[in-house]
Amino acid sequence: MSEVNWDPPTASSNSTNSTIYFDAENEADSDQAEVSCSTTVTDNFNGHETTKNLTADDDGTHFMPMASVCKTMTATTLTDEEASVDKPQSATTASSSRPLAKALDLHESVDTEVNIMSHDPTWKGQKKHIFILSEAGKPIYSLHGNEDKLAILFGIIQALVSFVENSQDVITSIKARGIQFVFMVKSNLIFVAASRTHLSVAQLQMQLNDAHNQIISTLTYSQLTKIFNQRKNFDLRRLLEGSERLINNLLLNDSSGKKISNNVFAFLTNSIRILPLQSSVRTSISQAIKENCSKIKNLVFAILLAQNRLVSLVQMKKYSIHPADLRLIVNLIECSESFKPSENWTPICLPKFDMNGYLHAHVSYLEENSPACLLLLSVDRDAFFVLSEAKQAITEKLKRSQCIEAINEAVMQTTRGKQQLNSIGIPELRHFLYKPKSAAQILCSEIVAPYTNLLDFERLESLYCDLLERIRNSKRPLKLILETRSNEVALAWSTEYYELFVVFDPLTQKSSVTKDVDKLIKWIEKEYDTYFIRTHPTF
Amino acid sequence: MATRKKSLLKVIILGDSSVGKTSLMNQYVSKRFSNQYKATIGADFCTKEVVVDDRVVTMQIWDTAGQERFQSLGVAFYRGADCCVLVYDVTSPNSFKNLDSWRDEFLIQASPRDPEHFPFVVLGNKVDMDNRQVSTRRAQQWCQSKNDIPYFETSAKEGINVELAFQTIAKNALAQEAEVELYNEFPDQIRLNADRNNRPGNADNCQC
Repeated sequence: MSEVNWDPPTASSNSTNSTIYFDAENEADSDQAEVSCSTTVTDNFNGHETTKNLTADDDGTHFMPMASVCKTMTATTLTDEEASVDKPQSATTASSSRPLAKALDLHESVDTEVNIMSHDPTWKGQKKHIFILSEAGKPIYSLHGNEDKLAILFGIIQALVSFVENSQDVITSIKARGIQFVFMVKSNLIFVAASRTHLSVAQLQMQLNDAHNQIISTLTYSQLTKIFNQRKNFDLRRLLEGSERLINNLLLNDSSGKKISNNVFAFLTNSIRILPLQSSVRTSISQAIKENCSKIKNLVFAILLAQNRLVSLVQMKKYSIHPADLRLIVNLIECSESFKPSENWTPICLPKFDMNGYLHAHVSYLEENSPACLLLLSVDRDAFFVLSEAKQAITEKLKRSQCIEAINEAVMQTTRGKQQLNSIGIPELRHFLYKPKSAAQILCSEIVAPYTNLLDFERLESLYCDLLERIRNSKRPLKLILETRSNEVALAWSTEYYELFVVFDPLTQKSSVTKDVDKLIKWIEKEYDTYFIRTHPTF
Repeated sequence: MATRKKSLLKVIILGDSSVGKTSLMNQYVSKRFSNQYKATIGADFCTKEVVVDDRVVTMQIWDTAGQERFQSLGVAFYRGADCCVLVYDVTSPNSFKNLDSWRDEFLIQASPRDPEHFPFVVLGNKVDMDNRQVSTRRAQQWCQSKNDIPYFETSAKEGINVELAFQTIAKNALAQEAEVELYNEFPDQIRLNADRNNRPGNADNCQC
């Protein structure tokens, strides 16, 4: 093994030292030769993105080792014979990347000199890391660990991104040693995911986008760009303080956060979940909101949520809310215990609605101990008292019509579990996802055994990630997948009207799958108005 | 006002090759010195936590390649720096003369908002050597002419003035940060007009 010029900082315990240079005489490290690096070029004229694979030829000969990727990074201006990146000889300088590979390696044991992660013993064991930094390379956020202690890592990431940028290109992903690295540069910020989960590049990009949206939601895009235009060295943590919990919660919705929840499937399909309610009940809820809000100027959305699920949504005419925005709102409510006891007035930017300005949200729970939270979003920052009155009136109305009880009951039902699957009457059915194509809403059956166990749930999640990736693949989408795996039989089916993903127990025969799916679809069609909202009323 | 907020400073070290940039950094961060010369290719990163006026500050130090042929990251290094350390070798008049172009290069590449008052620090390194060629007076004159850049004579080998120099660097960079207004102004109210939401850009077919 070759020696790397990565001097251990022995004398000082609070300092770390990393090097992306190397001794030119060193030999290559053969264990790093499994990297591909693909980059995306954005064509500014038509807005299309074309992905060009820098290195991946079918025969694999152009797969550059990680080392070479980094070598190009540090050596573009070397003289010709030194910069022969494509030739195997270039491996003489390959050890340049050892620190990088090591620093980013979530898996392997790392020499003592790499004390990037020594500040937190749990850091290395994580399945997924997300980093956010400024274009200057200053740390803003790390999902795990203390971002200050990772300052070197952030520097290296910035160098990688800038190197590719210098050649008018954009780095999108690197795969090395079983770790998928995904990069996204947006709004003067650099977002990076490093993952050993089963999320695909596209799915990790969605998570990075979520993190980006959350930051915009806190600061607005206009403020963010203004700050960095004025001061490239700005330490954005000063403005994001207190909102880290929102980003954490968004990014930990998959099993890497050790959570067993259907939330991850709402995220993966970019949709939201609906609280099951009889359609007559839902209609009277919407009516109550509409009656008491229709005269209020500047009110754009009224949203009633319970247990991360949408109960009712009333919108201003000609406006609609994007599921990504709604997920930010759900996330905000989920992470903010402090909303419970009181009426709240909070600015929130919904990036898909208007990334440059704030909506002002009146947030309150309908009653003490009620799971239902009402948000009234206005563009008018002085609307608090008007909206507060409206909320009182809505609550009164919902009480009188027993809608609050109905909501409570529905929430109880969903937490009890098993009911829904039993009522369908397909014993071998274990779990399913159903998403109509006409709406960004998803029905996920409750999670029952064996998936109540984290390991089994991880397998389920991985299965869905894989099916979704293949069904939604932009280059070669599939219409139907039926697979018998060792632990389950899985079906994915994309029709003109819906996407359906079903998991059966492993002994289910193909012939019965067909019958079961028919039965399931019939059941969903019958119950559609309980589990989905066809149209949202307007003020 | 005792703020306990986290701070991170990006510090860039520039200067001709072999003036001792990497050695200064190593001396400062890990109190070590090696006589062996290894050219830095690309860049080298270090961090060190320091306490300045009761504040814990993480210094993210970017050591750059002095040899032109090893510089490959360009703007990346300079972007968003909080402080720039210019190093020359007191035994090498050329490295002193080149301070001008290093300073210009930095100001062009980094284009800080207020170039006149950007915090630079100049270090005359290798004062332990006995073949000194650049006098203290000459160096001080140059620093004065550039808006009074603080000047230190250092020896990475003996550890002379290194700690003090970096402490000043942190202090001056922090002073700049303190001047920033807090950007807490509210953006204008969103204007509602019915067409706005139906832009073709919103064609990702997913409304709730």
